[in-house]
Amino acid sequence: MTLLDKVRAVGGTAKAPAPAPRTFSDCYVRKKTRELDAFPYALSLSRESLMLMQSQDLPDPVDPMRILYLDTETTGLGGGAGTVAFEIGLGQLTPDGFQITQLVMRDYPEEKYMLQRVEDALDNADLLCTFNGKSFDIPLLRTRFLMNRMNPACLDMPHIDLLPLARRIWKLRIRQCTLQRLETEILHMPRMDDLPGSEAPQRYFSYLKTGEFALLEDVLRHNAQDVASMCVLLSHMANLYRAPDDNLPCEDLFSMAKALEKEKHPHKARMLYHKVPQGKLHASSQMRLADIHRREGNQQMSATIYEHMIQNHEGGVMPYIALAKYKEHTLRDIEGALNLTRQALMLLAEPTLESDTTVQETRFALQYRYERLLKRSGKVCD
Amino acid sequence: MNVDQLAEVLRRDPDFMRNVVRWEELPPRPAQYCPFPRQLDARLTVPLEKRGIHQLYTHQAHAISEILSGHDVVVVTPTASGKTMCYNLPVLSEILAHPDARALYLFPTKALSADQVSELYELIEEMGVDIKTFTYDGDTPGSARKAVRQAGHIVVTNPDMLHSGILPHHTKWVKLFENLKYIVIDEIHTYRGVFGSNLANVLRRLLRLCDFYGSHPQFILCSATIANPTELAQTLIGRPITLIDDNGAPMGKRHFVFFNPPVVNQQLGIRAGAVKQVRHISGMLLKNGIQTITFARSRLNVEVLVRYLKEMVRDPLGNAGRVRGYRGGYLPTQRREIERGLRAGQIDAVVSTNALELGIDIGALDACVLCGYPGTIASAWQQAGRAGRRKDTSIVFFVASSAAIDQYIVTHPDYFLAQSPENALLNPDNLYILMNHFKCAAYELPFEDGDTFGNAPGSDELLQYFTESHILHHVDGRYHWMAEDFPASEISLRSAASENFVIIDITDPAHHRVIGEMDRYTVPMLLHENAIYMHEGVQYQVEQLDFDACKAYIRHVEVGYYTDADLNISLTLLDIEEQDNSTDGLPRALGEVKVTSLVTMFKKIRFDTHENLGFGHVRLPEMDMHTSAMWWVLPDELCGSFASDDLKNGMLGVANLLRIVVPLYLMCAPTDIVVVYQVKSPITDKPSLIIYDSAPGGIGLSQKAYGMQDLLLEKALDIVQQCPCEAGCPSCVGPVGEVGAFGKKHAALILRDMLRRARKKES
Repeated sequence: MTLLDKVRAVGGTAKAPAPAPRTFSDCYVRKKTRELDAFPYALSLSRESLMLMQSQDLPDPVDPMRILYLDTETTGLGGGAGTVAFEIGLGQLTPDGFQITQLVMRDYPEEKYMLQRVEDALDNADLLCTFNGKSFDIPLLRTRFLMNRMNPACLDMPHIDLLPLARRIWKLRIRQCTLQRLETEILHMPRMDDLPGSEAPQRYFSYLKTGEFALLEDVLRHNAQDVASMCVLLSHMANLYRAPDDNLPCEDLFSMAKALEKEKHPHKARMLYHKVPQGKLHASSQMRLADIHRREGNQQMSATIYEHMIQNHEGGVMPYIALAKYKEHTLRDIEGALNLTRQALMLLAEPTLESDTTVQETRFALQYRYERLLKRSGKVCD
Repeated sequence: MNVDQLAEVLRRDPDFMRNVVRWEELPPRPAQYCPFPRQLDARLTVPLEKRGIHQLYTHQAHAISEILSGHDVVVVTPTASGKTMCYNLPVLSEILAHPDARALYLFPTKALSADQVSELYELIEEMGVDIKTFTYDGDTPGSARKAVRQAGHIVVTNPDMLHSGILPHHTKWVKLFENLKYIVIDEIHTYRGVFGSNLANVLRRLLRLCDFYGSHPQFILCSATIANPTELAQTLIGRPITLIDDNGAPMGKRHFVFFNPPVVNQQLGIRAGAVKQVRHISGMLLKNGIQTITFARSRLNVEVLVRYLKEMVRDPLGNAGRVRGYRGGYLPTQRREIERGLRAGQIDAVVSTNALELGIDIGALDACVLCGYPGTIASAWQQAGRAGRRKDTSIVFFVASSAAIDQYIVTHPDYFLAQSPENALLNPDNLYILMNHFKCAAYELPFEDGDTFGNAPGSDELLQYFTESHILHHVDGRYHWMAEDFPASEISLRSAASENFVIIDITDPAHHRVIGEMDRYTVPMLLHENAIYMHEGVQYQVEQLDFDACKAYIRHVEVGYYTDADLNISLTLLDIEEQDNSTDGLPRALGEVKVTSLVTMFKKIRFDTHENLGFGHVRLPEMDMHTSAMWWVLPDELCGSFASDDLKNGMLGVANLLRIVVPLYLMCAPTDIVVVYQVKSPITDKPSLIIYDSAPGGIGLSQKAYGMQDLLLEKALDIVQQCPCEAGCPSCVGPVGEVGAFGKKHAALILRDMLRRARKKES
């Protein structure tokens, strides 16, 4: 028995195709330009509006025509050394429209030519924009550069990853923030007969086996749409931050305000919290508002908000606790703090919709606070 | 009483000495020193001098100068001889001189990694230098991983993590791979069989990547005492290596006591339980304040002994806390606390499974009690090595159980006391294992035309095969990975077949939990539907075996019986690699066979009485496995002298003896090999005795057995000749009920004749 026979016996058999040898000098390149009408606001993107959503890692100035939109199609989702990006879609605004350049390696030896073209494109851009690129596309490209003995330093440049930024705004309302879902729910441009991204690897392997390039057309269409949507989405988000619409759903207002806080724009955040209408997120917004005032040193202002909330029976025990802390630590009004804590405990005894464990934990914390305050007030001896 | 006094008292105690088969005194050995090697960075001597170390033991000094002169070395010395210094010092010295240099440490378990890192930290801290040491394993938090990858000078991990967490992601470890100077692998004697064969291939992959990044690391390997350290080390790393075994560490006097519990049933050859005897011996040591470690064979026995010993010293002062257990399943923090307690002398007695056998630092103790034979000589010496001060006397008790292998050891103390005759075997070219890692290697870095995979044979054939199966894509002289999956994630280093079954406890319907795993070749025997499955002393019944999904669902039960499945095995010859067919000699052959196993029914057997309570049917598919085998053909002349039943019983007896002897001399677990006898073998058409590897593809055990035939036959004959039983017992050919009244006699006749022919051939 030869070794090959043994290998076949152990591993099962399959028949062999014989690929014809070829020479390679470049990858396949497809360029298409889309009309600018489909990209409202894209050319008016400003550094200021981008700063509102991501205050770090931006070039100065931001030239909308030097933003490179990038999306890859890969042979798998595992981020190891054997996973390859077989197609890379690049998008860039030009005076004539949005230009989409798609690079395809028709076979593995073309990978290095494809990467060289990516490197060139990156050299001609100041800012990279991706969807989940920080955890997926860029580390994967870094691996591919290294595997081809190319320097991956070109990938270290200012980068906006839309996925985490979109999650900040819309997760509360639409939960799942895939690009397709954002297109439907936020941009109102649902895709028709799209190839699910998960089928791309098998399409590519089928293409390699058969040489039938048409198998990749669906993948290319899907990828072009991804690249275009990123551009639309970025300008849509920047526009939202720049001029928030009063009619936005309250979840979006609240989430954006929180995002603004995180990016250190407290004044902008305050304006949005004020816009949250009466209803489910109003109390939380009031609490955040009071918190911003407190951190800005305006303790009196935050106390007023808590008092209003208590008067309006809003926010359950939250304003009681916050106000008790204020009275205890700032005003040194132990008696007042003690009163508020007692009221909060009484409030907790009433039936609520909160889960039992949450209530339990809050009650436990309150009781602890209550006993501590009692000691401080001198009403009990240790 | 101290150890010397206690030894005197025991020797004058006739009740105790009645059961002592042999009392060996190992003389003390003085230390042999050498000055610090010149090449060692002078900054390192500061923390050493601070600890009172002004010179090194001979083996340490030799290892260090060999390493610093650029050679691969394997250091083989007993427990507690300062082995870790042999690698820590040169590694630190190199990093002090070249701060870019990197080292990779591999330990077989996570517990050992943690222990080693703390020791390294101490040295580094005392020098006040910036050398970063990190462990990278399943417990490393995601947030810390990036720092480890970028900045770790010394990365401490285990083979499994290297295989699935580091190698497939090598581009994230550029710094490590570009600057890798040393690969340290400790406890290499644990890498035998399937685990070792896997590791050898992981190292082939590692070296391939180092080559890609332009580094040429050196190997530093350490092993407990085994017969073939050089061979094992060279097979693991695939190149020649320098052996360092001139142990210079001192050792106080040691008593080695072989204790065989009294026979309680002469006919059946059953002896008093080892646990009971150990309770008495360990208790006596405890009462005398002699710090003792007791090794038990199972987790259950550990718990039982801990309870006995705690009761013995329990008092209102909390003295029960001086007795502790130690085994897998205890939390890491708890284990650390016990290790500290032992070093500080706050714990007088610890009862452990083999978890404490490997090099975890617990200091040296005064006494060690082995409750049963741990399976290999190397393990036994490792365990015994836990007792042994550098100056004072220590004592080791080996208490034998009724198991055949224990009885062999206790009745052949010289086998144990002589230089270890065990070989650690592995077969990196096992086709199943090789193919798995070849795939991983292809994923990690494309093969090019004419590339080899380390020193593995058949790279061209494997590349052709994987190309045919559309896993690799051949273009322009390179083979590219062409599949979505991530090959390393499906391959376990600790078993040969890639698919393991998970065992799921469904007793609590709201909370199904996975309690274990089993390889697919064992599943039909132990996890067929309605089987009683024992796990940590608890009985479960298998409710459903989902063969396609590789899952067994079990439920807790309490019944008075266990189940025993009937396994039908048939062998088909695939290939003969080597044979020896001389007419007057003993015909034997080495080759490959297909083992087809089928479980069709099982018996229910009552505990204690062993009565048969009934049968059940099993419906499972046949399973095929290719593996290597060796076999002897009994010559017509010999067979003709027996009636057919006598021949059958005699062969069964010989097979039982070989089951005892082969694992002993091949240093493998009894379950790693299978010995069968066939009165009319489909392989040879004649009465034959067959030994085959139970791991698919074989790990070289049959091959080794083929080469060691004289020794194996001799030792088997030894047992049967020296066994005091009348006509057979579980310690030799098997009980009379199994082999018949003349089984023992006929087995001896057959063996004697086989051995005579085998020797004739040689002379």
